[in-house]
Amino acid sequence: MTLSALLVIGLLLFTIGAITVLSRRNLIIVLIGIELMMTSAALNFMAFNRFIPGDGVIGQVAALVVLGLSAGEVAIFLSIILVLYRKRNDIDIEELTDLKG
Amino acid sequence: MSIELVIAGVFAAMVIAGALMAAFLRHVLHAIIGLGITMFGLAGIYLYLGSPFVASMQILIYIGGISVAMVFAMMLSVSMSVAALRDRTKTLFSCAAGALFFLAVFPMIRAGQYEAASPGEQQALPLTLVGQGFMDSYNVVFEALSLVLLAAILGAILIARKEKQPQ
Repeated sequence: MTLSALLVIGLLLFTIGAITVLSRRNLIIVLIGIELMMTSAALNFMAFNRFIPGDGVIGQVAALVVLGLSAGEVAIFLSIILVLYRKRNDIDIEELTDLKG
Repeated sequence: MSIELVIAGVFAAMVIAGALMAAFLRHVLHAIIGLGITMFGLAGIYLYLGSPFVASMQILIYIGGISVAMVFAMMLSVSMSVAALRDRTKTLFSCAAGALFFLAVFPMIRAGQYEAASPGEQQALPLTLVGQGFMDSYNVVFEALSLVLLAAILGAILIARKEKQPQ
């Protein structure tokens, strides 16, 4: 598979993640969209890792760091969702508009 | 058209199909399953790109950890599990924005001149170099990542703690 094909797959994944974040009302699905965008970045790292001369370490390190960071981010996001549900009984972003001007 | 290319194409199709499932299916559980399918396809692509370690970590962390945690959160916040009304205007505009972004960046990818754009032999990149890299050159990012994860765990526990009732 050529480098351009892999980058296009990453771009498509990022676009679909962005569409998910923009158009869905459930907070958990918004989290899924954020995860899709982050893994598209990791895919870019791994794709360049294979096609650039070198020993191929930095791309794997970057992908693993993205993996770890997204795991931590999901933990925080889910605990926020739980507290929100406990207080408001609702995780619909159309209803959570307290900070709206 | 070698067999590896066909299998890599199947995994790539799995990635896109899972992402579309996550974006457009109404039920939360179906979206989480779509995320799992995407991550599995990505693990296959990472395997094709020569890194079985990152592929197995992807499956372990995303499908084994993050998707399960999302299912738990879905079960604990069950009011939105039933399909909510879809806002058609919002979906249409977000798809238009996404398509615009894709059409803007796609020519840049096609026009890029990538030197040394042919891969080496199709073999697994040696894992010992990754381990040594984490201990030698990329040690700071490794330690910083563990500190970030510690902070994330502490923060998650602190946020989701039950409030102390005034006595």
